Amino acid sequence: MPVLRLPKFGKPVKYAYITGRVRAMKTKLIPAEMYPRMMSMEMAEIARYLEETQYKDEIDALSKDYSGTELIEHATFANLAKTFRKLAEVSIDEPAFLILEYLRRWDVWNIKTLLRGKHYGASETEIMKYLVPAGELSAEHLDELAKKETVQDIISAFDGTDYASALAQYDGKNLAPLENALDKLYYFRMERSVGGTLSVGGGLLLKYVRREIDIRNLITLFRMNKAGVDAAIIQENLIPGGKLHDELSRMAGQPFGEFLRGLEGYPFWSSISDIATADVDAISRIEARLKAYLIRYAWALSNYHPLSILPVLGYMVSKETEVANIRKIVRGKEAGLPAELIEEQVVVA
Amino acid sequence: MAVVADAGVLYGLLAVGAGLATGLAGIGAGVGEQGIGAAVVGVVAEEPGFLGKGLFLMLLPETLIIFGLAVSLILMFAWTPFSAIVTP
Repeated sequence: MPVLRLPKFGKPVKYAYITGRVRAMKTKLIPAEMYPRMMSMEMAEIARYLEETQYKDEIDALSKDYSGTELIEHATFANLAKTFRKLAEVSIDEPAFLILEYLRRWDVWNIKTLLRGKHYGASETEIMKYLVPAGELSAEHLDELAKKETVQDIISAFDGTDYASALAQYDGKNLAPLENALDKLYYFRMERSVGGTLSVGGGLLLKYVRREIDIRNLITLFRMNKAGVDAAIIQENLIPGGKLHDELSRMAGQPFGEFLRGLEGYPFWSSISDIATADVDAISRIEARLKAYLIRYAWALSNYHPLSILPVLGYMVSKETEVANIRKIVRGKEAGLPAELIEEQVVVA
Repeated sequence: MAVVADAGVLYGLLAVGAGLATGLAGIGAGVGEQGIGAAVVGVVAEEPGFLGKGLFLMLLPETLIIFGLAVSLILMFAWTPFSAIVTP
């Protein structure tokens, strides 16, 4: 039964500053119509364009050491980390707590990157390139971890932290179960710490996160059902905690056509209905559409609760997507992919 | 018991009413302004050009104090039935 939660007097005021700030920051995001134009630009032109945007400081600082794709990749991640750290630093109280709780996903990202890098014998500088110190683990700490010799050294560095139980699943050969466990741990923690606060803001954040879990599970289902993977294996890979978890886990292992028919009627169906057909070849197109749906969902929710964590959440999701889009375009161009293929991957809400 | 209309007490009550009118309006405007002020500072931190518009929005609730002030002034100086009693 839903609990009626009356906000305490003056409570939304805590959010006035941070929501005002992110709404101003939102206007500086790269507009959707720029992505097709970026696809027709040369690498140097893209870098020059980014110099006119919020990425200016990072491009300027890093252009001494890097150029081309490398420069843009470094600059976008550096800017992402800086922006998110700024959000965590300028907020207080409940918003600060919720933002940090959300940003822990970058800790998970960093741990995964470190382990993957060490597992496949990448160099320290190579690993550092893909780290985003936006979460609780600082850049210095990550630097230290990247200097460690083996995967086991990194895992033992996390002894005594929440991550230890998930990291214990490493069997020396396969990273996939460990990565799954980390994802599950992140959402589990979020549910426990945010759901436990019983605050209005925490409830709203959870509402979004539950939808996000559903969408992630749905993408897993699309990929694995398409490939005809066994139901038990798919269910193992689903992240618990989503609102539609039971229904989605029943869909695991269904024939693709039947699975698609089962999806009709869900709120996300309208955003994929035109491309989700039985003979769809690129699941990544559906993935991009679903991610765009998630961004729209976050902003739509924030219209109902203008003074809450949701505008901040909407901004963080949009910013992550923007960085991902720039990187997709840059990498795609470097690999010589046709423009249509890159365009399919770019998420435009 | 007959109610004795003491001009001094009536004038005193009028003054209290006038004070409450302006005072409560001021507190109300303050409560309204706290959120706007915080939001404006947040936006101006990102976009310094927004300062003028932001200040205007921030001062909007302050217009409500003028209503309170007008009521106070009417009570004290312009309400004839009472001013007839209190003026000797």
